[in-house]
Amino acid sequence: MTAIAWQRRRATAARFWADFRSHRSALVGLGILLFFGLVAVFASVLADPAGLDVTKATAPAHAAPSAGYWLGTDQNGRSVLTLLIHGTRVSLIVGLAATAIAIVIGTVVGVMAGFYGGWARSTLMGFTDWFLVIPFLPLAIVMATVLGASLLNIVIVIGVTSWPGTARLVCAQTLSVRERPYLERARALGGGDWHQMTRHILPNVMPLVLAHVVLTVSVAILSETTLSFLGLGDPTRPSWGYILDNAYGTGAMSNGEWWFVLPPGLCVVLVVLAFTLVGRALEVVLNPRLREGP
Amino acid sequence: MHHFVIRALTFALAGGLLSTPLSPTPAAPKVTFTIGIQSDVDSTNPFTGIVVEAYETYALMYDYLTTSSAKDVSPQPSLAESYSEAPDKKSWTYKIRAGVTWSDGQPLTARDAAYTFNRIIDGDFEQTNYGNYVANIDKAEATDDNTLVLHVKQPTPIMERLAVPILPEHVWKDVDGKAVKSYENEPQNGQPVVGSGPFQLVERRKGQYLRFAANKNYWQGAPKFDELVFRVFTNADAEAQALIRGEIDFAYDLQSNVFNSLKDKPGVTTRSSEYSGFNEIAFNTGAALADGTAIGDGHEALKNKQVRLAISHAIDRKTLVDRVLNGHGSPGDTFIPPVYPLLHYTPTAPQNFDLAKANQLLDAAGYPKKADGTRFALRLFARQESQDSQSTAEFVKSWLKEIGIDVTVKVMSEDTLTEVIGQGDYDMFEWGWVVEPDPDYQMSVFTCGKRSYKDGDAIYADLSDSFYCNPAYDELYEQQAGETDQAKRAELAKRMQQLVHDDAAYAITYYYNDLVAYRSDRWTGFTPQPDPHGSLLFQYGVHSYLTMAPVTATGAPAAAESPSGGSLGLVVTVAVGVLILGGAGFLALRRRSSASADDRE
Repeated sequence: MTAIAWQRRRATAARFWADFRSHRSALVGLGILLFFGLVAVFASVLADPAGLDVTKATAPAHAAPSAGYWLGTDQNGRSVLTLLIHGTRVSLIVGLAATAIAIVIGTVVGVMAGFYGGWARSTLMGFTDWFLVIPFLPLAIVMATVLGASLLNIVIVIGVTSWPGTARLVCAQTLSVRERPYLERARALGGGDWHQMTRHILPNVMPLVLAHVVLTVSVAILSETTLSFLGLGDPTRPSWGYILDNAYGTGAMSNGEWWFVLPPGLCVVLVVLAFTLVGRALEVVLNPRLREGP
Repeated sequence: MHHFVIRALTFALAGGLLSTPLSPTPAAPKVTFTIGIQSDVDSTNPFTGIVVEAYETYALMYDYLTTSSAKDVSPQPSLAESYSEAPDKKSWTYKIRAGVTWSDGQPLTARDAAYTFNRIIDGDFEQTNYGNYVANIDKAEATDDNTLVLHVKQPTPIMERLAVPILPEHVWKDVDGKAVKSYENEPQNGQPVVGSGPFQLVERRKGQYLRFAANKNYWQGAPKFDELVFRVFTNADAEAQALIRGEIDFAYDLQSNVFNSLKDKPGVTTRSSEYSGFNEIAFNTGAALADGTAIGDGHEALKNKQVRLAISHAIDRKTLVDRVLNGHGSPGDTFIPPVYPLLHYTPTAPQNFDLAKANQLLDAAGYPKKADGTRFALRLFARQESQDSQSTAEFVKSWLKEIGIDVTVKVMSEDTLTEVIGQGDYDMFEWGWVVEPDPDYQMSVFTCGKRSYKDGDAIYADLSDSFYCNPAYDELYEQQAGETDQAKRAELAKRMQQLVHDDAAYAITYYYNDLVAYRSDRWTGFTPQPDPHGSLLFQYGVHSYLTMAPVTATGAPAAAESPSGGSLGLVVTVAVGVLILGGAGFLALRRRSSASADDRE
């Protein structure tokens, strides 16, 4: 029994990978993500964390790239490359953690709304719609200001403001799954709400959620950059947005210090692009409707 | 925020330089002088505004009894051509200049001055900005059109520095105590605001600009140009670019790196002037209400003077000046800046950067290092509005780590921080003060009576932000308040600085410079205050506005038009950015179209 199940799972995984592999751009995206993932994990090996300590910096501020400082220095004489490498870690952590929050809230709300229907659905979806129509940036700025600037708060702000999309998606999928015969069977055999939701509905909406997660991460990273650039990020943890904020705040833009501005911008674009490429491919692979065509 | 109040208050004394004779008004085109500012004037109503820029507009629109000299910031007559203390020391008499008129033609008399003072003395809301000047005045009285008598409770040195703009009674009598709170004092129906100063406000667009017309009949002589504009910018970078392009003539309040980038631009002169402001790391020395009831959640260790001294010894002020201010300032020690040489106290036991000594002090104070190398943890609050504040906090965090103090930096808005300080819910924070020529206000900050107070159940902040309380200090404060001999008072002021310094209520980090840049190819004749290295504008008084003039040589240099390396770099940066985004978009689009092609197979 289990052997058969494993065999089937292996076959599914192989099919999935073959499908995924057929999307060339998705592989490019995956490659980029792998690269940034490794940079984030080995940040401390690649660049000495002591380089983040302002009191240890000896180089002149706003220096152009040189042999010792490949990407020049920031306003405190720290290497921009070191900041960038450690910023990768912060940006990715915030992106992933915020997404986790958003996905958990979105999935719980979506499944509950779809499964129970009726007034529960109208209430929950009404609430979701309400969140959906509030413009993201003002809400995030207000929350970040009230909560104060720290890494955890930024994660919470982004997480709490980006779940409604997931909730809508999950709710719609739940509605269709709920009507399927095997759920009727489960109900007839006396399966409780909890059992139905966790054993039958969740596994069936999961692929969709997964594809959505990857897309949400890119939005979350972009949001983190935006908030940090607006000076609402954690000033003690250099993220890419933080580097951009410092560059802007200390006149690097009008001095034409491209080494201070361009690299963090490029990193953001690359990571967001990579997540989007992978996410779109996953969507196509996992969602049969997108695959079958007319 | 209250720090800003002080900063603002200090700028309120109006000009007093004797003018050079009037030059004939130039023909057709109006000569306009445009100043770039970064904080918009919050209100042109002198009872409401709090930012420095607002106080500058009051100084331009109104006159003051006395002003501070351009040479050394000493008090000198202004609207009052002379003043004296009565022999019984119960009153001061001010001789108001004859022949001064308001911009609507009405004469300005001692009755206007008496009205203004009485309005503040009897007022409620009117006390907010000017209360400290009238605290000692019982009543103002105009004995005739040219004589103002202020009756005082005790002899006090502040009577020569009453920074209160004299308002026209015939306008303000129609604005009652309630209406004044929301009164805008802006031009209506195309009529300028009625004033007596060298400029009249003729137009105001919130968040954009303020336009003033020169008062050609000003009693000190007409300004040498026709129009003055304050233009609001949202950041120093944009302001600098406008200066390079020639859209503005003077850039105020520049960030040090932006300032440095302007140094070799053609036609632009940069100026880093010694200034009367300092920044500090303030300690919660034991938060309490004025009556002594303990409040807040400050760390126990900071009540110990030795711990505060240790922290002060762990701050490398020289590095802060070099790295945070890019050299535009000097290391700090006591709370009256050296720009006031008569009052500044240079400590005999300076708190130099010495980590070994700091460690020793902490060991001796009973906070030994634990196995993991730390002693205890503290919070340090920095201000969102200031890049320099956040940088300083980062430096301090690193240094304190060296002596085993684990610092958590938190950034908050100045409004929030003011609230937090008032409640005593902090360990350390980074902020600063601007010290006005009369040190009374600054000295009052460290008295016991200026600690927070309770009204009902709520706790309200007063001026004290370190909760320093020392009876010996308070006694000196009382003594100086009644000391009219300036030399003796300076001696007292020095002893007070010594007390606060040696008790380390603040670790004063640096005295920062006033960083400005202006178009020297177009303007000349500024009057620095103090002479010769002081500020050119935003002074104690309006000296420069009366002496500066356009450069008369014909043909403004064409250099202003040539693209600079800076803006070229910006163009390249933007272009590359667009290319990247475009590329990303293209890829994504291509990806989609190929997907749909796959789908159909």
